[in-house]
Amino acid sequence: MGAIYKKELKSYFTSMIGCVFLAIMLIIISIYFFVVNMLNMYAEMSTTLNAITFVIVLIMPIITMRTLAEENKQKTDQLLFTAPVSIVKIILGKYLALITLYGIGMAVICTYPIIMNMYGDAQIAQSYSSILGFFLMGAAYLAIGLFISSLTESQVIAGVISFIVMIFTYLMTNIAGLLPTGHLSQVVCLAVIVVIISCIAYIMMHNLVVTAAICIVGEAFVAIMYFVRPSFYDGLMVNILSWFSVVDRYRSFSLGIMDVSAMVYYLSVIFVFIFFTVMRIKKKRWS
Amino acid sequence: MIEVRNLVKDYYGNIAVNDISFTVNAGEIVGFLGPNGAGKSTTMNIITGYISSTSGQAIVNGYDIFEEPEKAKKSIGYLPEQPPIYPDMKVREYLMFVAELKKVNKKERQQMIEDIMNLTKINDVSERLIKYLSKGYKQRVGLASAIVGYPEILILDEPTVGLDPNQIIEIRELIKSLSKKHTILLSSHIMQEVSAVCDKIIIINKGKLIAYDTPANIAKMLEESRELLLTVKGYETTVKYIIDSMEGIREVKYNKSGTEGCIDISIKMEENTDIREELFYAMSKANCPIIEMRLHQTTLEEIFLALTHDNVKISDMENEDIPEQDYETKEAEE
Repeated sequence: MGAIYKKELKSYFTSMIGCVFLAIMLIIISIYFFVVNMLNMYAEMSTTLNAITFVIVLIMPIITMRTLAEENKQKTDQLLFTAPVSIVKIILGKYLALITLYGIGMAVICTYPIIMNMYGDAQIAQSYSSILGFFLMGAAYLAIGLFISSLTESQVIAGVISFIVMIFTYLMTNIAGLLPTGHLSQVVCLAVIVVIISCIAYIMMHNLVVTAAICIVGEAFVAIMYFVRPSFYDGLMVNILSWFSVVDRYRSFSLGIMDVSAMVYYLSVIFVFIFFTVMRIKKKRWS
Repeated sequence: MIEVRNLVKDYYGNIAVNDISFTVNAGEIVGFLGPNGAGKSTTMNIITGYISSTSGQAIVNGYDIFEEPEKAKKSIGYLPEQPPIYPDMKVREYLMFVAELKKVNKKERQQMIEDIMNLTKINDVSERLIKYLSKGYKQRVGLASAIVGYPEILILDEPTVGLDPNQIIEIRELIKSLSKKHTILLSSHIMQEVSAVCDKIIIINKGKLIAYDTPANIAKMLEESRELLLTVKGYETTVKYIIDSMEGIREVKYNKSGTEGCIDISIKMEENTDIREELFYAMSKANCPIIEMRLHQTTLEEIFLALTHDNVKISDMENEDIPEQDYETKEAEE
């Protein structure tokens, strides 16, 4: 694990990607810091960071897209996966290197509240709470990006898909607000989702009987719930979609609240996507 | 030691490896021979734990690669078809990374890498970025990375691809010298290469094991196909009479010769017999001078071509040739 961690971290700085990533991240955050905190004299970081959550969506794919896609393409994964190291450790090594690079940027941002404090009373606790939330949100996006990178051999495809997925989670709150709230429309949406899940299951398993069973059971459940307990559908789609709203969880941090449920949410996202990545690599070996 | 039992790899109906079993004993060099797409790389990828098999077992140094992968992988050095090198790393840096990945003791690392770079003759490029190296050097860096940690078993997938003739000889010598301490399984689609370095040869085609024996034995198995080619001056009836009276002949063919008054004869002899001397005296007695006589020995190359072309097991061949079609229908029924 140590070998891969060191190699990854080193490669960010030999190939410029790490420098470019840090430069973009810090330039944009610093401009906002200058305008919001220096010129307009807001004494806390949350407004600044709130305004630039979109930056995360823009720059995360830059560092995550190559992590596994490039290994697949150069066939260097053959070295890694035939070495006496378990797949989990390889993935963790790579993920920790990503976190470290992002952490370097966040460490610089951690100095900003101190700078503010030199010129008056800054809201230190609230600022650091929002920095922590920002860090966790980024870490969750890194895990998502890592997983997407394992799906393909092409950096570009990995980058574009990561970007689309991240934009989608970023806009999720707005999308959820646009959905109709009537029971019947919720049933239709859910029915469509069941079909999509069955299709994905078929692509992954190539087993018609099992996927047909999943589809039929799922659709039956949707229909039965509609007749037996219509209240099940109250605001269901909004709830489901808000599970995917990674950015939304960050809001409570920016109010200065150490939101445990949001922390648990981010840590679960990280865990789930690292798990998916490991599964994806194991699956590739079996197919 | 590598032990492979009934290995099958099925890519959604496309069977790449079909029920292969063999054992490579400690200290042997075994050549894995087959045309492109025969399943060599797939088998090697399974043995090294890169991909899994559909069924069957691969046991490396006593550890099952699927049950205890980390222990098994520890004793394997693998050079895949495309060397797994990072273009943005320097050669020494890359080898240090591989050493760390393979958990080589920190104190030994430096010295080991120096030794290996000397061995594979890449010390003059040790500070260059891998992406600027030529194909031959990249191949040698790949080979060096397989040797790092001195694993007991080396699995080399076409190790001499992309090298010039001098380098090929050097690498062959290197492989031979490595075999004193390591067990080696190497693949190739070139017969000479395998017969030059290997103790034993595995021939596979279309995912099936066709033969597994020493090069000499494989040649011997097909010895019956050696032919005696003759050009004799004389009347056909006389020559035919002489040859018919001789023993140890399986099959004779007469052809019209290009030279006037001569006959071309091709004779297939029975196993372990040599009728050349006898034939010479018999012909001279009958005043039929032999203009030309040569023994056509089947080379390993021809055996390889014959074996992979007909897709027939040698054991079957000794009895009679089974037509390919029957073989396939039998497969389908199974």
